[in-house]
Amino acid sequence: MKLRVVEIASNLMVKNDALAAKLRTRFAQSGTLVVNVLSSPGSGKTTLLETTLGWLSERYRVAALVGDQATENDARRLERSGAPVRQITTAAECRLDAEMITKALGGWEPGRLDALFIENVGNLICPAEYDLGEDLRVVLLAVTEGEDKPLKYPLAFNTSHVAVVTKIDIAQAVGYDRAAAHAAINDVHPGIETLELSARTGAGMEAWFALIEQRIKTKARAAEPDRQTVP
Amino acid sequence: MLERHFSAERTTVHEIGVALNLLESIQATALEQGIERVNAVIVRVGALSGIAPEALQFSWDVASAETLAAGSELRIERVPLVIFCERCETERSPQEGTGLLCPECGVPSARIVSGRELQLVAMEVPA
Repeated sequence: MKLRVVEIASNLMVKNDALAAKLRTRFAQSGTLVVNVLSSPGSGKTTLLETTLGWLSERYRVAALVGDQATENDARRLERSGAPVRQITTAAECRLDAEMITKALGGWEPGRLDALFIENVGNLICPAEYDLGEDLRVVLLAVTEGEDKPLKYPLAFNTSHVAVVTKIDIAQAVGYDRAAAHAAINDVHPGIETLELSARTGAGMEAWFALIEQRIKTKARAAEPDRQTVP
Repeated sequence: MLERHFSAERTTVHEIGVALNLLESIQATALEQGIERVNAVIVRVGALSGIAPEALQFSWDVASAETLAAGSELRIERVPLVIFCERCETERSPQEGTGLLCPECGVPSARIVSGRELQLVAMEVPA
């Protein structure tokens, strides 16, 4: 059988990237800071967001979208902060994508938001490929994980804007090697802003809150001339 | 370079999502051009994409079953990680598991030249 070659040359992420660009425009208009939080399962995404939403919701209008393959347990935990929360159950999918975010925002009216936090599915491989229209991608590394994890999952750390070392209260007990962890993070993303904190004890949280607060203000200022009431 | 072993629990789900994206792109092109059968598909996969070729092959066989691309051959072109080293002022290929470290001078680079690819390059169809 004779064959012919049909050239296509398309990026497999093209559809997601287009939807993410639309989300970015929408959040630029509403002046909403969007934060996409990535980590392995069990690194402390939910605990960090519980505390963060609790602190921020006294000062700002904040909400969260939570991705999990199954259960709504994380959304229930985050709801205790008083902020509007919506669970996205991804079933077979190992990450959130821009289409899921768009759908989850449809018909949801938490009012105009200063910040929207997106807790991604616990996984460092797939979420790294998918732009969700976020301003800030934050990757967590718990002190209980191997310090070389950034070398194993370079893309997640390379594409993030901030790295957060979590569970710092138990660093000593688990023999956390600070120099090795910071070196590995910088080997895949030279110069990335890196924080160390414990959402449980509050250690290091001031710097995290300050970072988020400063980003919220910057985003709101940029949107000031044409602020609208979405999402 | 070390060959990655196919670990179903680690990667299959990721590759299935990619295989479904691939199928969608192929179906769209086929519809546009009136193509009814696809014999082979050529993709380019970067070393940083987190794709295990064996898992993508497996996922492709599952995703393409009972479609116009059923039983088609998936040709995977692997693209190595290449960085631009600021200190050496040239392109370098870091060794696997060393992040973005220049293999010559040991300085990490912020500039990825290639290795993030996840592209559908072409397909072969009956003439």
